[in-house]
Amino acid sequence: MSAPAPVDEASQEEHRAERSAPSLWRVGLQRYAILIVFAALVVGFGVATPSTFMSLGNLSNILGSQAVLFILVMAVILPTVMGDFVDLSLGSSLGLSAMTLAVLNVQHGWPVLLACLAAIGAAIVVGLVNVFFVVYFDNDPFIVTLGTMTIVQGVIYIVSGNNSVVIVSVHLSNWIFSNEFLSVPLEFYYGLALFLVVWYVLSFTPTGQKALVIGQSREVARLTGVRVNRMRAWAYILGAAIAAIAGIAYAGTNGTVDPGAGSALILPAYAAVFLGATAIKPGRINPLGALIAVYFLATGTAGLELLGAQSYYQQIFYGAALVAAVTIPKVTRDRIFKRRRSA
Amino acid sequence: MPVTDSGTPDDSDKRVSLHEHSAPGEQAVAPQPEAAPAVEVRGISKDFGSNRALDAVDLRIGHGEVLGLLGQNGSGKSTLVKVLAGVYDPEPGGRLFVGGEEVPLPLAPGQASEIGLSFVYQNLALAPGLSVLENLTLGQRVGGGVRSWSPINWIAEHRSGAAVLDRYDVKLDLDRLTGELAPVDQARLAIVRAAEDLRRYRTRSGYKHSVLVLDEPTVFLPEEDVERLFELIRTVVAEGAAVLFISHDLAAVRAITDRVVVLRDGRVVGEEVTADIHEQELVDLIVGAPARLAESAPAVAVPVEDQRAVALTLAAMESAGHSIAVAEGEDVTVGHLIAERVRDVSFEIGAGEILGVAGLIGSGAEELPYLLFGARPADSGTLRLGAETWDVVALSPQRSVRGRIALVPADRGAQGLSQSLTLWENIVMLVEDEHYRGGIFHRGELVDLAREAVDRFLIRPPRAHNTMSTFSGGNQQKALLAKWLLARPRLLLLHEPTQGVDVGARRDIYRFVKSAAALHHMAVLWVTTDFGELAEVCDRVIVITQGRHSATLAGEELTEETISAAALRQTREDR
Repeated sequence: MSAPAPVDEASQEEHRAERSAPSLWRVGLQRYAILIVFAALVVGFGVATPSTFMSLGNLSNILGSQAVLFILVMAVILPTVMGDFVDLSLGSSLGLSAMTLAVLNVQHGWPVLLACLAAIGAAIVVGLVNVFFVVYFDNDPFIVTLGTMTIVQGVIYIVSGNNSVVIVSVHLSNWIFSNEFLSVPLEFYYGLALFLVVWYVLSFTPTGQKALVIGQSREVARLTGVRVNRMRAWAYILGAAIAAIAGIAYAGTNGTVDPGAGSALILPAYAAVFLGATAIKPGRINPLGALIAVYFLATGTAGLELLGAQSYYQQIFYGAALVAAVTIPKVTRDRIFKRRRSA
Repeated sequence: MPVTDSGTPDDSDKRVSLHEHSAPGEQAVAPQPEAAPAVEVRGISKDFGSNRALDAVDLRIGHGEVLGLLGQNGSGKSTLVKVLAGVYDPEPGGRLFVGGEEVPLPLAPGQASEIGLSFVYQNLALAPGLSVLENLTLGQRVGGGVRSWSPINWIAEHRSGAAVLDRYDVKLDLDRLTGELAPVDQARLAIVRAAEDLRRYRTRSGYKHSVLVLDEPTVFLPEEDVERLFELIRTVVAEGAAVLFISHDLAAVRAITDRVVVLRDGRVVGEEVTADIHEQELVDLIVGAPARLAESAPAVAVPVEDQRAVALTLAAMESAGHSIAVAEGEDVTVGHLIAERVRDVSFEIGAGEILGVAGLIGSGAEELPYLLFGARPADSGTLRLGAETWDVVALSPQRSVRGRIALVPADRGAQGLSQSLTLWENIVMLVEDEHYRGGIFHRGELVDLAREAVDRFLIRPPRAHNTMSTFSGGNQQKALLAKWLLARPRLLLLHEPTQGVDVGARRDIYRFVKSAAALHHMAVLWVTTDFGELAEVCDRVIVITQGRHSATLAGEELTEETISAAALRQTREDR
């Protein structure tokens, strides 16, 4: 770094003085905007299709069907909160984990539990490779994980011989999908437990606070003595491990694993994380916001389906909600600041 | 050597001039002040609030002249350049003449290039990822419309680029990445580009005036390369441009300029022909009062006024269960520190002492805080703090924080404080671990601690939950200081701690640091180019020139003038 640029005191002070803190009302509106729209959505669908949408079965469906995505969201959130905005390979880590589990269990006769551990181990290897190239060599995470994602996808095809693998173990699907508690599949509670752990660590420990500083201002974190690279490395590794858990849940839910598993989930997971960053703590990636976002999106798509829309409309709803959520706060802010900017 | 009026407008583009260069310092042809000057400003003033940065400045630059503009930081040099560049609007009443014709002020941004002014700033404005050729032609690609869609003939571009470099006798590979060039070659490329803009302007408009403004071009260059830059400047002058050369570097100014103008506190205090003035006279003009007749040092305020703020940092530590002996501080010894721009610097700081480090930009002084914190790599050196000795090479920010060394960086916006987090989160950043007990993060305690710090460090507005970016520079700086003082450092490293800070906050910061040093027996290293500040707050000042510790000032000799003189005079003498 070169010497500091001369700072013009007067103009800087002038500039600062004009900016004032946003009003409580506006902050509150932004913070709970998704919840408000969420509530409106529920009321709207409830009125439109009262018998089906407001049923317990639908609630159970919404909660249960999103469990795999929700677990993947917890994986995505770890690198993202530290400013590594993309780990594309998490989707293929999910697929790799599911396929490893299926192949070992079905074709090699490994016990389910052992196969699960191997699945997690395989994903952690992917995480370590990412760490090596992104953190150690300081590469752009988008480019590196684009590469590792493609490689892992290729490995999945090799391991599976480009075939879907049907899982025979009843235990696995029982403990993940078939058994229910309060008429919601168990996997939802696994996701909830993971969420509670991630939420606690990120929001209620100094470690989470440090992760936040890394994400917001990496250089400040470094000069405050935070072990920036070590924490980023852990985020990639733990993220991969959690993605592996999502893969196990995927295998248990579907009963068969196809080679493309997971690749369709990674973008919705990022959509939920970024949508969640506009809620609860606006501008910050936060687990609670992500939780709300996942079920907001799920409710929207479920409602649309009940109204007769095809399931692939889900994609349009996801994309539109994401773009709207990040743009609307800017539009309102720019309207307030426009005069000052042009001045 | 032909200096004046060689670049007439009807010079063919194909002409490639090959010059013999005269020996350095031998400016053969004296300027002719009688002819209409290339550029003349009269009565330019500029106010920032109640602060007058420029006060009725008159300046004329003759054709083919190299005019040096000298002055300390804050003397108004940059403000004048920014008025000429159309960045600042001057106060009404100032007039600007270009080639004898008046141009109405203020200039619009970008208008400068249309009246024959071209600027090369310290940062050069080159794109390091583009090739030399691409950077050279970058200026011609700006602008929209149909022209931006017309095809580029790269072969022809290559040929004309080579001709341009030839014209200025600069040998560079047009296909090299600009970022790979040596610093001096980058500077030369930027100058060629600017000079070429001027030449095109002269050809296009038929005027013969044009001025190249060079703002601190030699700061980061090794001594041996400066002469190569000067050769280029002489060629540019021979081509027909005048040069306004702004620098701290007296040796450079004496080597290249025909005349010098000295600014102090926004006024022109001297205008001399370079060959007729001695270095000592120049130093006296720049710093004001004759440096040799230093008056007694200003009375140093007893640092007890703000014990409350400092006491808070002790209380913070006690509440966190620390019981550190406060009675005695520790001495700091830095031995044989060597790094890229630092050549074997050694010094000591006593417990409770504030040691100032003075040095011009590029002298290496500004590296010291970052090297001693482990934020930038050093080549060798030792740091002794009390009984512990560290190898500076092995220092890292983590170790420094654990060893209770604090760094307040100059770039508070990007390095000191996280602008998107709240005030309280920034202030407690270093102590939050102590408030995590039994699996519970006591945020309430931290917010209370931050509120107390806000109260005692006089941070306004006192809203702990506001986002950092909404606070003014002075209040941000106080928050940054509070953040580090809460960690109760043994050694506090400050770099430009009052840069961009209003006067009131500056006083507060002086008091806080002084009382912290006195009450905590903390060693403080204070690095700034504001020498008046060093004279006011420091117990002792060391001067760094060309990466070497060249002088130590204390007691009676500690005045702004003596520090400036020491920092200026020793520049480039000890080769």
